[in-house]
Amino acid sequence: MVNGYQATSLKEALKILAKESVTPYSGGTDLMIDPEEHATFLFLARISEMKNIIEDTEYLRIGAACTFTEIIENELVPEILKEAAAQIAAPAIRNLATIGGNICNGSAKGDSALILFATDAKLRLVSSRGERVLPIAEFYLGRKKTALKSDELLVEILIDRINLSNYYYKKVGARDALAISRVSFAAILNVADGKIVNCMTAFGAVSDIIIRRPDIDAMLVGKTTKEAKVVKKEYIAAYDQAIIPIKGRISAEYRKAVCMNLLRDFLESNGI
Amino acid sequence: MMINFILNGQKVVSTAKANERLLDILRTEFACTGVKCGCKEGECGACSVIIDGKLVNSCMVAMGYVESCTVMTIEGYRKTERFAVLDTSYASVSAVQCGFCTPGMVLASECILAKNPNPTEAEIREGISGNLCRCTGYNAIVQAISIAAKEGKGLW
Ligand SMILES: Cc1cc2nc3c(=O)[nH]c(=O)nc-3n(C[C@H](O)[C@H](O)[C@H](O)COP(=O)(O)OP(=O)(O)OC[C@H]3O[C@@H](n4cnc5c(N)ncnc54)[C@H](O)[C@@H]3O)c2cc1C
Ligand code: FES
Ligand code: FES
Repeated sequence: MVNGYQATSLKEALKILAKESVTPYSGGTDLMIDPEEHATFLFLARISEMKNIIEDTEYLRIGAACTFTEIIENELVPEILKEAAAQIAAPAIRNLATIGGNICNGSAKGDSALILFATDAKLRLVSSRGERVLPIAEFYLGRKKTALKSDELLVEILIDRINLSNYYYKKVGARDALAISRVSFAAILNVADGKIVNCMTAFGAVSDIIIRRPDIDAMLVGKTTKEAKVVKKEYIAAYDQAIIPIKGRISAEYRKAVCMNLLRDFLESNGI
Repeated sequence: MMINFILNGQKVVSTAKANERLLDILRTEFACTGVKCGCKEGECGACSVIIDGKLVNSCMVAMGYVESCTVMTIEGYRKTERFAVLDTSYASVSAVQCGFCTPGMVLASECILAKNPNPTEAEIREGISGNLCRCTGYNAIVQAISIAAKEGKGLW
């Protein structure tokens, strides 16, 4: 085919990527909005190594070329990610759009990327030179800028197999189904033997990069709900400082206010 | 250097470039003008087609993606028994006004019923949530799909 390669194995795709000037094409729902006339696409949808959803002893491994429909229908996927995926666009977009594309577009508005931040997911990046595993927070460098090298593909997303069932997720958008999120918030809080063992929060679409601050969340870890209430004010103040909405947007203050409300609601829903 | 796929049950070969939109090629090279263009942004669903059994917006698909796939447009779907049931049910409640959204809406209806022959109203509304209609206000369309589910027993 002219202006395109359809790879059927990862090895083949990496070889093409190393040699040619091609754009990886997963579901195409970002690329086709405004396709470059001379772009040569490297189609990923038939690479079986990028289509699996499997568990090993450490991780749930999601292939980067899995569509949101496939993620919603898979029984291994945690509810928090399914819920976020189910709220993305409409079925016909979810049948194309992939989780890998949602990350590699580098947007702070990615609804599945938000969940991957909240769960401290890792990304397996592979090139013909070798491979590396990067925490998702290190993958995003700035507005639409990522650490992806031109000869690398995101092959898998690795999610730690910790308990994710006590989660909080809200997307506050202009129009429900089709809206690219305006503000979104995801959090997980686990209590064991009366003490908070982990608290993980992430704020989407409010800044150039999704905001994830484990250092602030650490204020609540190791405490009972009662003790957490004592530091609640301090905790909220820390986020009030940390969330710097994109300047120059009329809605900046609105976005921030929504974030703070969602954070409070999350704490209250956990008795804090 | 060609792109091979199955269009409405027939093997076809396209000379299009891999980065061209399926929507444009279906309309120009294959004269499938039932595939409508409303936005080219994945928002309206007028360009819906079924690829390998799944509803997709053909404006969001590059030609190279369909290599070795099965593509069904309204032109092919028209020849099925299932279409006849939907055609009757849409007509019975006047679910077609200007008709611009109808090809996409009918294919979305097919995908709803193929997945679930007895959908609830909420499932129907979710299934057509990516297909905009400026005329009917959707209620008649939702009704038409419910009627097809009842009348088409055994077909889905
Ligand atoms: C109508 C509509 C509604 C939408 N609604 C939402 C929404 O509610 N929430 C939301 O988050 N998004 C939404 N989106 C945006 C889009 O659908 C998602 O971001 C989607 O996940 C992108 O995935 P894709 O596979 O289609 O990406 P593609 O367009 O294939 O790729 C996106 C980018 O990532 C690169 N890339 C893709 N995969 C890889 C890989 N494995 N390795 C290296 N690079 C790669 C590509 O080169 C490209 O630069 C919407 C889009 C449309 C058209
Ligand atoms: S033309 Fe494809 S969704 Fe509107
Ligand atoms: S009948 Fe006119 S847009 Fe639906």
